[in-house]
Amino acid sequence: MVTTVAARPGFLRRDDLERLIALLQEGGRTVVGPTVRDGAIVYDEIREVADLPAGWTDDQAPGRYRISQTGSDRLFDYTVGPTSWKRFTFPPRVPLLTAGRSTAGNAAFDSARPDPPRLAFLGVRACEIAGLLVQDRVLSGGPFVDEDYRARREAAVVVAVQCTCSGKTCFCASMGTGPGVSGGHDLVLTEIDGGFVVDSGSPLGAQLFSRLPITAATPEQLASAVGGVAEARTQQTSGVALDGIRDRLMDQLDSPRWAEVADRCLSCANCTMVCPTCFCTSVTLASDLDGRSTDLDRQWDSCFTGNFAKVAGGNFRSRRQDRYRQWLTHKFATWFDQFGSAGCVGCGRCITWCPVGIDVREELAVIAPPYGENAQAAVVAGSPGVYVTATVRSVTPETADTSTLQLEPTDSGLLAARPGQFVMVEQPGFPPLPISISRVADGALWLTIRAAGPATTAVIALRPGTQLGLRGPLGRGWPVERAPGRDVVVVAGGIGLAPVRPLIDALLRDRSRFGSLLLAYGARTPADRLYTGELDRWRAAGLEVQEIVDRAGEEWLGSVGVVTNLLDQREWRSREGIAFICGPERMMRATVSTLRERGIPRRRIFLSMERHMECGIGLCGHCQMGPYFICKDGPVFAVSEISDLMREGI
Amino acid sequence: MARAVTPEWHSALRSAPSYGRAMGDQADLLAAFAGSWFGEALPAQARMRLVECASLREYPTGAVILTELDETRVFGIVTTGRVGLRVLVPERGSVTILTVEPGDVLGWSALVGPHRSTSTAVALEPTTVLAFDPSALRAALSADDALAATLYPRLLEAVTRRLTATRHQLLDLYAQQAEAVPW
Repeated sequence: MVTTVAARPGFLRRDDLERLIALLQEGGRTVVGPTVRDGAIVYDEIREVADLPAGWTDDQAPGRYRISQTGSDRLFDYTVGPTSWKRFTFPPRVPLLTAGRSTAGNAAFDSARPDPPRLAFLGVRACEIAGLLVQDRVLSGGPFVDEDYRARREAAVVVAVQCTCSGKTCFCASMGTGPGVSGGHDLVLTEIDGGFVVDSGSPLGAQLFSRLPITAATPEQLASAVGGVAEARTQQTSGVALDGIRDRLMDQLDSPRWAEVADRCLSCANCTMVCPTCFCTSVTLASDLDGRSTDLDRQWDSCFTGNFAKVAGGNFRSRRQDRYRQWLTHKFATWFDQFGSAGCVGCGRCITWCPVGIDVREELAVIAPPYGENAQAAVVAGSPGVYVTATVRSVTPETADTSTLQLEPTDSGLLAARPGQFVMVEQPGFPPLPISISRVADGALWLTIRAAGPATTAVIALRPGTQLGLRGPLGRGWPVERAPGRDVVVVAGGIGLAPVRPLIDALLRDRSRFGSLLLAYGARTPADRLYTGELDRWRAAGLEVQEIVDRAGEEWLGSVGVVTNLLDQREWRSREGIAFICGPERMMRATVSTLRERGIPRRRIFLSMERHMECGIGLCGHCQMGPYFICKDGPVFAVSEISDLMREGI
Repeated sequence: MARAVTPEWHSALRSAPSYGRAMGDQADLLAAFAGSWFGEALPAQARMRLVECASLREYPTGAVILTELDETRVFGIVTTGRVGLRVLVPERGSVTILTVEPGDVLGWSALVGPHRSTSTAVALEPTTVLAFDPSALRAALSADDALAATLYPRLLEAVTRRLTATRHQLLDLYAQQAEAVPW
C-alpha cells in the first residue's frame, strides 16, 4: 500500500498535537515533557496537551528563575528549567546489585537487570540533545558501558522542539549546540503561530511523521520557523569563546581567580545536579539488619561534595577552589581529551541555579580569555596598497639618534591600536617601515623611531604639518587581559622600551587590578635611555622602575651591567607572576632563563619578536618563523609558543 | 639613582678613606650573611665559621674600597648601597664596567692568586659591606678543606655569573643595527 505523506518539513496544527501525544503513547509508552509544577517548568508525565505549559515563559538570570504567563497560547515559549533529561536516562538513583552471604560463608551477587521504562521525551531542546549525546559518549561510547543508561536511551523516543526564544543564561549558540536542532532526534518541531513546523530525523520519526495529519508547510510557515530560531540565536548576547579553550584553560591552573571564585562558591553542587552532562556518581549501600544482604545503588554525586576526592590519606581537593577548578577544567578542557568534545552544552542551568549566581561565561572570560582578544584592534588599512594619511603633529628628540613622532591620522580607527601592535609607515621615496606604536594619546599615534638608515633618518627629520601614510594597527599585541591579579614584570632593552610603553600605560591606567609592577630597563649607556622624563611619573603611579646600563662613565651612579642583573638582585619568586619582555633576542633569551628560574612558567612569559617585515599582514613571507608569520601571528608570543624556535638561523 | 657629578663630589671621592668603619655584633653579621644571595646557599655551619673573621663596614659615597692592581684587602658581600667597579682607560677616563649590588660579592680576587684587584671599587652611594679579613679567611680555608669545599664553588658561581653578564655586555646588544632594506 502506498501512503501519501506530506513533503518534509510539514505543518502540524496546534490542535493536532494531541494526535502526536496519542501516537507516542501507543504500546504503553509514557510521554514525558514540560509542565508547570512548584513554580517551575519541569519535565514530568504528559497525558494530554493541557499538561503542557501553555502561555508560560521563564525569566532566568544568574541565581534567578521565575515563571510568568505571557497571555499567548504558545506551548514552548520558555527555555530550559531545572530538570534535565538525564533524570530519565541516568536517574539520580539506580540499583546496581544485591550482595549476600549465606550462613556457610558463600557470597552471591545478584546484578540488577536494566528494566527501562518506555518513554517518549517531548520538548527536548537542541542543547539538551547535545547533552544526551555527550552522555552517550561518556556512558556508552567507550570500552565499558553503563548498561542501565544504554537500555534507557534505546527505549526513549526524542521529540525535539527548537527554541524560538533564549534566556539570559542561554549560551548554546557559542557552544555550537543550538538553538537549532541538527541531529539526535526522532522528530523535531518548531512552534509558530497556529502550530508547528515538523520534520523527522530517524526511521522511527519518519514513521510518526507519516501517521500525523501533517500538511505541506508553506514558505511563510517555514520562514517563520527559521526566523524564530534565528531570533533565539540573536537573543544570546553572551557566550564562551570556544576557540582554543582547552589549552587556554589548562594554562591557567594557577590562576588567582580560582581562589576568588571559591570565596563566592558555596560548594553546594547545584550546578552539577542540574547539569545535563555531569555523570559523577557514588555507590551507596543499604544492608538488612542481619547484614546478610546488601543493596548497592548508583547515586548521583558531585565533584563539589566534601568527600568526593577523599582517600584514606586525605582529600585531594579539600578546598573549594580545587573543586571549582576541577569542575570548570573538566567541562571545558579535559573533557576534550577524554571524550572528544566539551562537557558543556551551553544550557545555562549552572548559572541560573547557582545560589550565588556564579556565571561560567564570566569566569572563563576572566580565567582563560581568548589569546589576544584584547590585543588586536580592527585594521583600518591592511592591504599593502592602502594607506591612511597622517599629519605629523610633533617630533620630540628622545636621545641623540631617536625621536618620538606624534601623528594625527585621518582615520581615527588607527587610534584603537592595542598595546604592542605596530603600523607600517610609508613616506614617498622610501620603503615602508614597520614601527611599533609607543603610545596612543591625545588623538595621536606616537611612534618612537631610531635613525638606523635612510628611511628612519628621513622620517624623524619630518617637520610638523607634513604628512605620511600609515597602515594598521597590525599584529597581536601584549595580552594585558592575562595580567590582572598577578605580579607583573616588564623587561625592556634599548629601543625595546618603545613597544612596552603602551603596556605600561595600560597597567598604570588600571593600577589597582594588578599586584606588584616592576619595569627592569637596560640601555647601552645612560645617554641612550628613553623616556627619562617619564620615569618618576611612572614611579609615582605605582610602577617600580629599575634601570641598568651596559657601560657608563664616572658620571653615572646607577647600576651597570646587563638587565638580568636587575632580576638577579631581587629576592622575589613568583609562580603567579607574568612577564612581558622586549629587546634584542639574545637579551630576551637570557631574561626568559632568569625569569623561569624565578618560577614564572613559559606560558606566562611574553616576548615581542622581531623579524624582517614588509607587508605586515602575513602575505610576503619575510617574517616567517616556524609556523608563524611574526607580523600577523605576533609580534607578541608566549615563550611556550616559540621557545623551540629561538635558535640560530630561524 | 643616577646623580650628576659635581666637583665637590669628585673631591669627596679623592679624600674618602679607603677603609670603612667596622661595626656589628655576631648576630647582625650572621643575619646579613644569611640574607645575602651569596650567603644563603652556604650551610649555616660554614656561615658561622666564616663570620668569625668578618665585620660590617660602612663606606660613604665616593669611598675607594679597592684599587685596581693593588692587593685586594677586602673580600665581602655588599649588604646595602652600590659599588661601582671601574677601570681606567686612557683617553676614556674611568669606565664603570659593573656595579655590585646588595647580595653580591666584592673582592673575589682576595681568594684567588695573585690576590690583586681587577678593578677599582668605589662606593656610589652610602654602602655597607660584610667584610671578611682576607688573611684570616685564607688561613681558615687552608686549614679547613671542608670549609674551602663549601665556599669555593659558591665563589665560582658568583664569578661565573659575572663572566656571563660580561659576555652579554661584550655583545653590545643595544648597539645600532642597520635598517633593513627590502631588496
